[in-house]
Order: sequence, then structure tokens, then C-alpha cells
Amino acid sequence: MAVPISQMWTVATYVLKKKLSGQKKYPLVLMLEPLFRCNLACAGCGKVQYPPHILKKQLSPEECFAAVEECGVPMVSLPGGEPLLHPQIVEIVNGLIARKKYIYLCTNALELKKRIHEFTPSKYLTFSVHLDGQREHHDMSVCREGGYDLAVEGIKEAVKRGFRVTPNSTFFDGTDPNMVRAYFDEVMAMGVEGIVLSPGYSYDKAPDQQHFLGRAKSRRLFRAILSNRKKSWKFNMSPLFLEFLMGKADRNYECTPWGSPAYNIFGWQKPCYLLQDGYADSFKELMETTNWEGYGTASGNPQCANCMVSCGYEPTAVNHGFGSLSGFFAMAKAALFSSYKDKGALDLLNNHTTFAAQHDHFVKIDSIAAAPKLEETRA
Amino acid sequence: MSQPTQHALVNVDEIEVVDGRTYENLEGWIPELASDEDLKAALEKAFDYRGDISLTFKSGEKVEAYIFNRSTGSSLANSYIQYFASNAPDKRKASYADIARIEFTGKDRAAGKHWEAWLKKYAEKKAAGETNIGLHPEALD
Repeated sequence: MAVPISQMWTVATYVLKKKLSGQKKYPLVLMLEPLFRCNLACAGCGKVQYPPHILKKQLSPEECFAAVEECGVPMVSLPGGEPLLHPQIVEIVNGLIARKKYIYLCTNALELKKRIHEFTPSKYLTFSVHLDGQREHHDMSVCREGGYDLAVEGIKEAVKRGFRVTPNSTFFDGTDPNMVRAYFDEVMAMGVEGIVLSPGYSYDKAPDQQHFLGRAKSRRLFRAILSNRKKSWKFNMSPLFLEFLMGKADRNYECTPWGSPAYNIFGWQKPCYLLQDGYADSFKELMETTNWEGYGTASGNPQCANCMVSCGYEPTAVNHGFGSLSGFFAMAKAALFSSYKDKGALDLLNNHTTFAAQHDHFVKIDSIAAAPKLEETRA
Repeated sequence: MSQPTQHALVNVDEIEVVDGRTYENLEGWIPELASDEDLKAALEKAFDYRGDISLTFKSGEKVEAYIFNRSTGSSLANSYIQYFASNAPDKRKASYADIARIEFTGKDRAAGKHWEAWLKKYAEKKAAGETNIGLHPEALD
């Protein structure tokens, strides 16, 4: 496991304190979106499609600190938009470090190499670099030729300067698991601390891609990717969440939507980081007025039917791992026996075209032909 | 607050591929507000819309705004929207009961930005011999 002991200890004691105090619903990671502005324009992104006057707005450092203190989380993720476009991002990061929060600054890294000298390495700060695969695939994914090279330059510079770095990858329908495994080799060779990954999700209000991974296909894909692991691969994630993605028995988790609450210029987002069903003015209001039973797969809500995303399911895995003996032993087992030998998964790798049968997101660039006019869709 | 719709009893763990929702082109739409239900339905669509809306209040005031929240109560009087006006920095709140007219005047910022559109654009640019192909954010001014 790639997560440092001090961070695990902080999270473990936080979960235990909450359990001992009898608190049933509590957050683990604040998804703090300081702005929606971005220097990429990825097709299908659900976070940046706003009028200019909204994209120009941003949270002040004081608003960021108040949100963190209000919900009391041990970890803060700083997505966006592109956080490095925020003129006070260094002040925000330093303020969170001073509060001893473990921060994941999520960046596309286009500006990272240029800006890295403004930050100071700390065990509390991780650059979580958006990287969706090898060069060709990442560039197509972020709709920018050259995006991969800039991101990798940023990663290498950050690693060289002693920062914690985790590439953060989202995989959509059509992903070739062999490509993903080759990508794991590539990024681990760059000296990153560990890999973060998640299946894609059809954003409720974003321009849509025509099809997204359903749960059955997601489980097959991640079984192929994550079984028969190489020793060199490290993951900066709960091992139980990875087992959930692989479809392992006893990992039939339900979503914990309050586990990763999102705060941005609109307020506290209901019910989670991915769905936008309204906003609350305070964290207390979010927790008390959201109809939590209306979300997650058990609710029958179709918006949740295909979701296996980390912001909802990793808190469940972390609570299981640190909040029960069975979970703790399962984590220990995952740490000791991390290769997940699986012949069936090898067969899936050898027959990976099953993953790309209908919808080639990860097509070879040279093979792209002009497509006929498609009916516009929107999730 | 609107409640999620329940779907038919299916085992979500057996779903292979999930389709996107049908896109609704609302840019330029001016809904008829003949009843309370019309107003509620139009404001629900305005809440989902990724562009500015022109709101005309019964007071005569007109605002161009991005509606980011709505809360529906038992009547129009206790239902409200929250919005950012395009020319003001702070969040504002307005009762449904005060709204006279809604126009989807702002550009739909989500329209046409799907994956297939990018592939098509890429193919065309590549065929034209362009290099450093990419999509770029729209200018903010």
C-alpha cells in the first residue's frame, strides 16, 4: 500500500473516534472546488460548462478554510476546474497544511512545472495528476495533443523536488486493460507514490458521451486490470475499494454519498460530488436536509445505477477497513497478498476486445475517421 | 426538493453499458407559464440548464442569471431559486411566487461538447494536416 503510515493513522483514528462517539454519518474527504475555470476543455467534462461570469468566480482562502473546519475532515481533495489557475492556490494549500489536513491537489499539470517552485514539499501535500493512460490515450481523453508530455514533465519535476505525486486516472467504456497495465509500468517508473483510479461516470448535467461503463463491465475491466498485479505497482487507495472494483466477494458495498462532500462557489452540493441536486448553505444543513435514502444503488435511483466511483464507494471501503475487525483483517490480507492471481483475468486480458466492442473511446489516433452526424445526447 | 425517480427493478450489477440521457435543446426557449405546475417545471429545467436564464419578476425587474439551486415547498410562496446574476458578485434568492417570465436566453454551455463531436473534429483537423490539435476553453470576456 502506498499511503504513508502517518496518513493511515490519522484516518484510522478519525474513523474510530466517530464510531466510538456513535456518529453514523460523517465525512472523510472534502471535495473542495475552489473554482470551475480550467485550461482544458475535455469533451464530456461535467465540471466546467458554465457561463463566463460563473467561471470567473472563485472561493477565497478564508471560505476554503471555513468549509474545511465546518465539516472537520482529515483529508481535502482540491479538484476543479484547474486549481493551479486560482491566484491564491498557494495560500490555500499552505493554510490547509497548517491545519494538518492531508491534501490532494488535483491538477492536469499543464502549469505544474512552471508553478512547482511556489510550493513546499510536505507529507500533507500530494499532487494528484490527471493522467488517463499512455500518451496517445491521455491526449485524446483530455482533447489536447501534447497534454501528456506536459503532465509527465510536471510529474517528474514534482517527484524530483520531493513532493508526493499520484497519477489519477479515469477509465471509460472501451478501455484496453493491457494498455492500462502498460501505463501502470510507465508511471511507477516515474517515481510516483501510487496510482489513483476510478471508472468514469456519466455526469448529470454534462455533455454526454453516448455510453458509460455499466457495473458488470466495470467489474470485468477492473478484474482484468488489477488481478495478477506486478510487485512494482502501488495504489494510493483503499485496497478494499480496489477489491470492490474487481467484483470480489464480500465487497458488495453501498455508496456513502456523505463520505466525500463537495463545497464550491454555490455552497454544499447535494447529495455528492457527482450529482448536483441542489445546494445547502451549511454542512449541517447538507447533512440534515439531504434525502440520503434517495441515492445509491439500493435506492433504485437511475442516476446512481452505473456509479462505482471512488468518491462514493471508497469512504465505504475505508469505514469498513478501519471501523471493523473483519475489515481490518481484510486490509491486512490485501497488503500481504497483493498479487491477486487469477487465470480468468488473464483470459480477459488476452481477449480484451470484449471491452471495446461497441464504443471505441481509446481508438488509435491514426484510425479515426470523420464520423457521421450523431444525435446529441446529454446526461 | 425534487425526489429521484425510481427505476424498474433491475439488478444494477448486471448492467453492461449505460446510455446517456437524451439531450434537450432549450436555448432560446420561452416557456408558457399558464399554471403553477408550468412554472415549477420550467424552473426545474432552468436549474438543469448550463447557461444563463433571463428572469422577469412581477415587480418588473429583469435579471440575467445562472440558477444553481431550487427548493420546492408546498406552494409557490415557499419555493425558491438561488442564482448568481451575471452582473453581481453575490448569491441571490427569489421566491417562485415573484417570477413572471423565464427565458432561456444564455448560450447552452454543454451543447455539442460530447465525445463523438471531439472525435469528429479531431479527424477533420488531422485530415487537414493540422498539428497540436486540441479543444480550448472559451474566452471569458
